[in-house]
Formats: sequence, structure tokens, C-alpha cells
Amino acid sequence: MYAHAWIVLGVMAAVFAAARLFKLTTELSMLAAAIGGAIAHGGLISPRHIADGAFTYFDVTLIFITATFFMNLLKHAGGVDYIIRGIINRFHKHRALSLLFLTLVMLVPGALTGSGSVTVLVVGALVGTVLTYMGISKDRVAAIIFLCAAMSAAAPPINLWAMMAAAGSNMPYVGFFLPLGVISVLGALFSMFFLGWKGTPVQLDKVMAELPAPAKGMAGWKVLLPFVVFFGLVLAGRIWPWNMPTLGLPLMFMVAAAVTLLTSPKRLPIFKVARETVEGLLPLIGVMVVVGILVQVMALSGARGLISLGVVTLPLPIIFASLWLILPASEGLVQYAAAPLLGVPLILLFNMNGINPIMALAGMAVMFPIGDMLPPTTVVGRATTMTIGFTGSYYNGFVKRCLIPAAFILLLGTLYIVFGNELSFLVAG
Amino acid sequence: MKANREWIIKGIALAVWIGILISSGIAFAQHRQYKETVVLGEGVTQVKTLGDYFEPIKGTTNDCNIYILDSGVPGGTLLIMAAVHAEEPATNLAAQLIVENAGVTTGRVLVAIHENRSASTVTRPGDAYPQFYTVKTEWGEKKFRMGDRWANPLDSWPDPETYVHYPSGQMLAYMDTRNMNRTWPGRANGSLAEQTSYAFMRLIEQENVSLTIDLHEAELEYPIIGTIVAHQGALNVAAMASMMLTAQEFPIGMEISPLALHGLSHREIGDYSNSPCILLESPEPFLDRVRGVTDEALLLTGKDEFVMKAGEKGLLYWPIDENGWSIDIRVARHVRTVEKLTELWTRFHADTAMVFSGLPSYEEMVDNGVGHYFTDPATVSANRLAFE
Repeated sequence: MYAHAWIVLGVMAAVFAAARLFKLTTELSMLAAAIGGAIAHGGLISPRHIADGAFTYFDVTLIFITATFFMNLLKHAGGVDYIIRGIINRFHKHRALSLLFLTLVMLVPGALTGSGSVTVLVVGALVGTVLTYMGISKDRVAAIIFLCAAMSAAAPPINLWAMMAAAGSNMPYVGFFLPLGVISVLGALFSMFFLGWKGTPVQLDKVMAELPAPAKGMAGWKVLLPFVVFFGLVLAGRIWPWNMPTLGLPLMFMVAAAVTLLTSPKRLPIFKVARETVEGLLPLIGVMVVVGILVQVMALSGARGLISLGVVTLPLPIIFASLWLILPASEGLVQYAAAPLLGVPLILLFNMNGINPIMALAGMAVMFPIGDMLPPTTVVGRATTMTIGFTGSYYNGFVKRCLIPAAFILLLGTLYIVFGNELSFLVAG
Repeated sequence: MKANREWIIKGIALAVWIGILISSGIAFAQHRQYKETVVLGEGVTQVKTLGDYFEPIKGTTNDCNIYILDSGVPGGTLLIMAAVHAEEPATNLAAQLIVENAGVTTGRVLVAIHENRSASTVTRPGDAYPQFYTVKTEWGEKKFRMGDRWANPLDSWPDPETYVHYPSGQMLAYMDTRNMNRTWPGRANGSLAEQTSYAFMRLIEQENVSLTIDLHEAELEYPIIGTIVAHQGALNVAAMASMMLTAQEFPIGMEISPLALHGLSHREIGDYSNSPCILLESPEPFLDRVRGVTDEALLLTGKDEFVMKAGEKGLLYWPIDENGWSIDIRVARHVRTVEKLTELWTRFHADTAMVFSGLPSYEEMVDNGVGHYFTDPATVSANRLAFE
């Protein structure tokens, strides 16, 4: 069985590497690896394994598609411009408050959608413009946007790494709000203040001229109402669970999107936004679908068991000392697939060693997104530099600037795992 | 030229994908529509369905058969529920073995082979379960549906943002609204699993059930394994059964149902009816995350090198060696524990006595294999067949 699983795993790795060499995208490379693994397992497998695997993260995919549609509608309505202009108008004389509120604005899109790319696309350019006029260099601006986007993806309520690993471990995705909230907010604030504290006073006139003009008739309540409705539906489902119809998160996001349509001061091109949303998310949707297929083939062939066994039999001190490197590196290599492949056995290991699994998973779930700037995929990192218009060296400029805040976040994540039991008072709701 | 090539590639990809969808659609439909054949043993006096006790369940996927074995001699009523988690096949097989072979000389026995039938019409995406498994018999192979822990999303979707258990208000994972061992005592207008639990509570009430036994299996990485979990109303019976079986036949532990964990059969059935509930767990290496190749052989033999290695490293809560945990042993454990619990219940509660007859011994089931106890459906008249 060992030899069989090693062969399957070896074939998958080789096919993945070859596909990448031929410039196939990450998701197509993973699909090729899955097919290669299936053939190595014993010829052509039943096609139903492909369809079965493809539906593994169907609900999660629906959630981030609808959430992103909602955020994109809000952006088209001028809501994001309105909020950012408001922050700068009101707090431009207080650098700390400006940075604080910009951080919070950065956290919202990713927290709701689970995707750092969405944060970069929805608010990245606008916040980047403001930061530039606060006298912050382009490489630092790019680093801030990336790290805040990474922390927004890690922030609750939607953390895709934690959701995928929890689903694979038969563990409820419950009790993560505070653990994820505390660590992601701390990470984002540290990144923003460490990289953005030094600069020049805000050049208000220039910033205002540069930022898109807010839509006529836009008001604070119009931006807030869709969020109030969304969180109202979530809370209503918890407060009156036996009287409320079961809506599910995707429909709740669609209701919030409908409210955005109603409160928007201008007519919104629904179908155009929907098409752009799906087009923009296609790589992420592809990854989620293909990761499911990959996991299915690995489970079928024993390759998943081999990885799980390898992980759970490692000594704990080695795990503690190496996670900060392994998790981001695996994210850089296979993106979200890292969560079910490594996250699940690690949860098992921590649980067996009496470490609070929720705290441990929360710690790991903020370490994964740091890898989104690393090769070979560099998805969110590249999206950030393109959005900001950073033309310097990707690794010597942008990545280098990220290193110290990233190290801080990775340290926090490690501490969450090592001291999971001591910090378990955070686990609630 | 380049554009043409792109369209050709896209066309081929689309054709391949449509082919996969059609082929898998057929496989999924065949699995969902497959009916297991049950031969009604001599002890079976009537077959009702769950919908007879709660009208809204009638005609739904979860309108499962309720097999009634009535001795005609006054006594108690035992309810055996199986396959609430349809990925635990020893429970299904143990219940079918009882229906086909058991007689009852005092009281009545009610059996639900597929307690959450919807869960047996789907396997878990990402886990590569086989859709079916077959058991060898003297007359050929008998085929069964493999299932999942949760009801099929085709029958119950979408899930709530968070599942709030009724009536405790305890918050649970969203998908557990489809997990019938988190939905007791159920809700008349809740999710399918909640309604099914509610229907079983009405059955327990209307049939005046004295004792309920819920059959399960567990991975070896899970601490509640190889054990009897009992509501406080049946502690004496469970403790005595654990001691006697461990001393005489096979090791089995005993645990008290936690008061603070809600939705579980062993907690809520006893709290919301006159019937205490006992849950049985047998070891199923197939469910372990560190398992090797996921196939029917592992499901039936329970042999796995990777799980064994995890055991050597002290990572398991139940022993395993190269002999694994075969389906025959797992079924035998369940059948014998049910019989022993019933025997002890009768000793402690003479007014609600229930006495089995005709069940094979533990050694017989292990030696002969579970298939030995299934009758060829072709040899009995159509009115002695039921379909699951």
C-alpha cells in the first residue's frame, strides 16, 4: 500500500510540475495531476469520481460568488468611493485614524467573500491612491494592500481555508469568529501601521481630485443598509431559528445585493456586473472545483492517507517550528488545495495532542494567505502590483517589503497553535 | 488559425465534460434509485412505514420501512434504529440480519433498517466512497447502498448559516441540520432530518416503546468507539451488558450520555419520551482520515496498513492489527450487544420483557460470515419481500 500511494503521489507531482512547465494554469495543472494520479491508481476511474469531487466545495463556491457579486454592485453604485472619500475628508489630519479606518475598509470585502483578490479588486486601487497621497512609497503601498487583502481573506465570517479544513475534519465551522477576527485584525493593523506610519501629511485636494467622484445622491445609510440587512438576516437566523425560513448564506448575499440595487442612486448594470463577477472569479472557482477532484482522487488512491499519516506522525516540535514556512509555501504551490491536504491531518494531530483544534486551525488559516504572494502562483501578489501600478522588482521590491509584517503574522499564527489551549477563551459563536 | 484551434480545444473540453456529466448522472441516479431487497423473516408480522406515525413524512425519501416482530405475548417494545449515518454499513447489515433471522417470544421488536434513508442515497464528495458494497452469500452476492453521514442535499438544501438545535438552542455546524444524530427530538416543521427525528418520536410514543437502541460505527481516531453510550434511564442495563460481554465474548466499553450535548439520540430520546436510548459504536477503519486506498475491500475487511501505523504511533483510541475489523465481526458485535441488552432489560424490567429467539451466536456470525444469514429473495414469495 505504501508503494502504491507513493507512486500515485509521485505521478501527481510529476504531472503537476510538467503542466506548470508547459505554462498551464494552476487549476488546469491540478486537474492534469488528478487525472495522472487516477491513471496511476489503476487505469481510468469511474467518471462519477470527477463529478463527485467537483462538488466538494459547491456551497463554499456559491457563497463567494454571491458575496463578490454583492461587493461589486456596491462598488458600481459608488458606495466604496463614498466611504473612502468620507474617511479621508474627516480624518485627513489624524494619520492614525485614517490608517485605522482604511484598514477596516480593506478588511470588509475579503471577510465577506473569503478572497483576497476580491479585496484588491474592490478597494485596492482606491485605498492605494489614498496611501500614495499620504507620502507612502509605491512598494510599501503594494505591500500594505497585499497584506491587508491577505488578512481580509483570513478574517471572519468567511475563511475558505478554515472552512475547507473543517469540512474535511468533520469539525463544525463554529466558534471561529473571535479567534480569526482578533488575529486578522491584528495582522492587518500591524501591516498598515508598520509600513504606512511614516509619510507626509495627506494632500487632501490631490486625493479628492484623484478619487472617483461619488455618485450624486449617495449617502452613508445607502451604503450601510445592505450590510445591515445581511447581518440582520444572519442574526435573525440565530435569534429566531425555528421561525425564520432557511435562506442559506448565498441567498442572504443576494438579498443584500438586491438592497444595494434599490438604494443605489444610479441604475446599476446587473448583468454586466454579474458577468464581470463570474469572469473575475473564474480562476478561483476553477481552483475550488479542481481541488475537490484532486482530493477525491487522492482519497481514492491512498495518496491522501499517505500525506495524512506523514503529517500526524511527525514530532510536534518539528511541526511548530516549520509551519510558518510550510503553510505559505504550500499555498504558493497549490493555493486552496493546501487546506484540505495539509490542514486536515494537522487538525487531527493537534486534536490528538490535546491542542484546541479551533485555535490551531485559526492560527493556520491566517498563515495560508501569506503564501498568495509566493511562487509559482503569486496570484494575489501579482494582482496587487498590477492594480497599484507598481513597476519595481516583484521580489526585491514588493515581496521584500512584505517580509517583516508577514513574519509578524506568521509568528502570531504559530503562537495561536502553540498556546491554543491558553487562548481558547477566544472560542465563541 | 489560432482562434480556430482555441474553439476546437474548447469544444473537445465541453464534449468531455458533458460526457462526464451524463455518465456520472446515470451513476448517481442508479445509486439513488437502487432498492435493497429484504426477505421478511418468520418473526416479521407487519411492515409499516414511518409516515404512518407522522403524515408529512409519508411519501418522502425518509418514509422508511418499520419492521414489526410481534410475539403476541404481552411485554415491552424494543426499537432498533440503524444507518442513521449511512456510511456505517455494519449497522444496516445488523438490522437486516435481525429482520431476516430473529424471532420474538415475548414483547415486540421494531426495526428501522434505514433510519435516515436520504443519507443512503448519496456518498460524500471528496471522500471517494464506493457507491455500493456486496456481501457474499451461499446463493450469490447481496448488494447494498453505501451512504453518507448527512441527508442528501437533493432532499434538504440549503443549509442554514448556523444550525440551532431545537429545543436546546445549542449552535451546531450548519450541515448538521442534515445529520439525524444531531436533530433529536426533532421538529414538525423543521429540516428533513428534524422532521424524521420528530416522526420517530411519534413512533416511540404511539408504539409505547420501552427501549430504543441506535446502531453506529466510528473511526478509530474517534474517542467514542467500541462502546455503549447510555441514557441515565438505562445505565444499569448498559453497564451490566458491557461487563458481561467484555468478560465472556468481546471487549466493549460503556459511557454515560453527556447531559450538555444536545441533538443526540442517547440524550434526547430518553429526555423527551418514556423510552431510554442506548447507542452502540463498532470500529470502522474505513472512516479514518489516515486510511489508504478507499474501496469496498477496506469497507468490508477493515484492514489498512496506514491505520495500523497510526495505531503503532499511539494515535488511535481502539486497537487494530493485520486482521483489521471485518464486517462480520462488526455486525456480530452489534447483533450480540442488542441481544444482551434486551436480555438484561428483561431481567431488570419484567413488566416490559422482550425476548429474542433464533439469533446466531457471536462465534457463529464471525465464523460463517454475515452473508450466511441472508436468504435468497428468489426462494420466497413476493409478499415476504420488502425493499429499502
